[in-house]
Amino acid sequence: MKGLRTSIIQEKKRTEFVIMEDYKFLFKVVLVGNAGVGKTCLVRRFTQGLFPPGQGATIGVDFMIKTVEVENEIVKLQIWDTAGQERFRSITQSYYRSAHALILVYDISCQPTFDCLPDWLREIEEYASNKVLRILVGNKIDREDREIPTHVGEDFAQRHGMYFLETSAKEAENVERLFMEIAAELMEQARCKELPRYEQNTTSLNGKTTSIGDAGICGCSRLS
Amino acid sequence: MMLAMGRRLKAIECFLRRWVSSRPDPELTALRYNVKRGSYAVPNDTHVAFFEKLLGPGGVITDSQECDAYNVDWLKIVKGSSRLVLRPRSTEEVSAVLRYCDERRLALCPQSGNTSLVGGSVPVFDEIVLSMRLMDRIIHTDELAGVVVCEAGCVLQRLDEHLSGRDLMMPIDLGAKGSCLIGGNVSTNAGGLRLLRYGNLHGNVLGLEAVMANGNVIDCLNTLKKDNTGYHLKHLFIGSEGTLGVVTKLAIQCPNLPKAINVAFLGLRDFKKVLETYRLAKGELSEILSSCEMMDRVSMDIAEQALGLKNPLASENDFYMLIETSGSQLSHDEEKVKAFLEKVMELGIVDDGTVTSDPSKIQKIWEVRERLAEAMSKEHYLFKYDISLPLSEFYSIVAVLKDHLKDCDVRYITGFGHLGDGNLHVQVLTSDYDAKVNARLEPFIFEYTSKMRGSISAEHGIGFKKAKFLRYSKDESAIELMRNMKRAMDPNGILNPYKVFT
Repeated sequence: MKGLRTSIIQEKKRTEFVIMEDYKFLFKVVLVGNAGVGKTCLVRRFTQGLFPPGQGATIGVDFMIKTVEVENEIVKLQIWDTAGQERFRSITQSYYRSAHALILVYDISCQPTFDCLPDWLREIEEYASNKVLRILVGNKIDREDREIPTHVGEDFAQRHGMYFLETSAKEAENVERLFMEIAAELMEQARCKELPRYEQNTTSLNGKTTSIGDAGICGCSRLS
Repeated sequence: MMLAMGRRLKAIECFLRRWVSSRPDPELTALRYNVKRGSYAVPNDTHVAFFEKLLGPGGVITDSQECDAYNVDWLKIVKGSSRLVLRPRSTEEVSAVLRYCDERRLALCPQSGNTSLVGGSVPVFDEIVLSMRLMDRIIHTDELAGVVVCEAGCVLQRLDEHLSGRDLMMPIDLGAKGSCLIGGNVSTNAGGLRLLRYGNLHGNVLGLEAVMANGNVIDCLNTLKKDNTGYHLKHLFIGSEGTLGVVTKLAIQCPNLPKAINVAFLGLRDFKKVLETYRLAKGELSEILSSCEMMDRVSMDIAEQALGLKNPLASENDFYMLIETSGSQLSHDEEKVKAFLEKVMELGIVDDGTVTSDPSKIQKIWEVRERLAEAMSKEHYLFKYDISLPLSEFYSIVAVLKDHLKDCDVRYITGFGHLGDGNLHVQVLTSDYDAKVNARLEPFIFEYTSKMRGSISAEHGIGFKKAKFLRYSKDESAIELMRNMKRAMDPNGILNPYKVFT
């Protein structure tokens, strides 16, 4: 036992050692939704400021860090961009569980991507924390062949307790806003409750970083 | 579906066969490196007639154009002038060839897939090439014990395919697996991409059969996991690069084929973060970690430019890492991989990455790593070094070389390799062979490596290219014992002369 404890302490010391950056908040954001709705393009628009034409299907899960500033605080967003295709569904499910925010994306010019939303919600119910911040995003508003009117998306979001936003990754419309408001909202939640844990494996890093726990919605509705 | 997934898909493995370098043949090794021919007999028509009678149709090649495929190495950095290639089909034929050559003092160059990166598998002068390619029988597979017994000329990939149908795999895997032969792998103690997990061939070869220079067949073809009787002679033939005998048969221990493979490809900002990631990967993924590779930004750029391969990440990074796990339960492994990835991101070590268990994407990611040597030698002359260094000094050699070569006409200096094994491949790319660069690099890089207590050849062997520099990694006492062993086993020095020793 003694040996084990010693090694845990050593591990802790080393962990502190490797923290090279100073940030106060770290939030995990996971994007889900049918294939081809523009999840990867939303992420790339936000993280790299570009729109990759002819973006191939995501296979597996891509992940990246984006550091932003909210109310003079450094916030790190850990973004997990999952594959939309059915065959990768089982893989992406494991990424729901530790998410602080789930962005469910559909394509406003493609009815079937909207029709699948209840299926995605069922997955979210089953695998994600019930306190996860859920955002419904209707992407591709640059397109002229819209099939889903804004109010239909809005209604759906409202009925399911989700925030709602329409975006265009191509025209960079509302993309920055989407992520920044998620960051602000999660920060607000974290401050409301100041719970420094998320599941058991997330610790307060270096005493400076706060991950949010079962904070619940704080009554803020910046996104709607 | 995961069960049906082989270790890797076939397309990439065959690249060596498809690929023909656009670069012209190099000048003769003997001229470029000013080598003096040993006092060996010159092969003549009488010898050819004997071999033709012994080996029958297809067993002897004398056509000079056909011979040249056996004279030039894969990287096109060395070239011999042999006009006689022998292709035996059995141990008895190998034995007869060696006895005949030994009696007449005819020098031989044993050759397997000819994928040596140190000029070990081609003749320097007119040595008779002994190609092992036709000895390609898989003799026996013990599925329960996980042992395959085969001849030395089996292509590594073919063995792997044979085993994957039985839920087994070869304990060795490398970029050249579509061309290299298992006998060559063993004779050079080749390392490769999964040494981290399965260990080297000294551990995985259970037994072997080899023919000594005088034609005597040494039967050490043990197939047991444990056999602690007498001297462990098999080790003499593992890594001695065909200078002590010709390996003809092998018994190899084969691990079970993993049911689940995950590959993560990561982008990192500096080398310190690469080391941190490795440390965390060992801790978080310990029992399933099967590979941990790294490459620098220039390596990635060249892979993209020369071969049109695609960076698996959308962002450009100073360093990339490929981390593979192999296990028996996909969901368990994914859980571990996810926890590892979350940790490296939370700690600010990794900025960007992708993770997958999809075979086609795994193949695409591996392709970038496996084809680096090909990409770099496609349009450039490659000064290639394969060194082991303590991890803390692992990448510093690249900066040291950049400084050391700053007044030379060098296109690129790149570093990539088997981080998990402390093994870096350092490449200096020039438009053509450049004697000034060569003189500046050697022995400088070996002195540096020696000073850092590294090895001047981590996995490629000594071959011809590094024979002069053996002393940087071996003490004189050890080299003297090596010489004595060579004299005892090959008193006439007919086996692979000019290699390993000078």
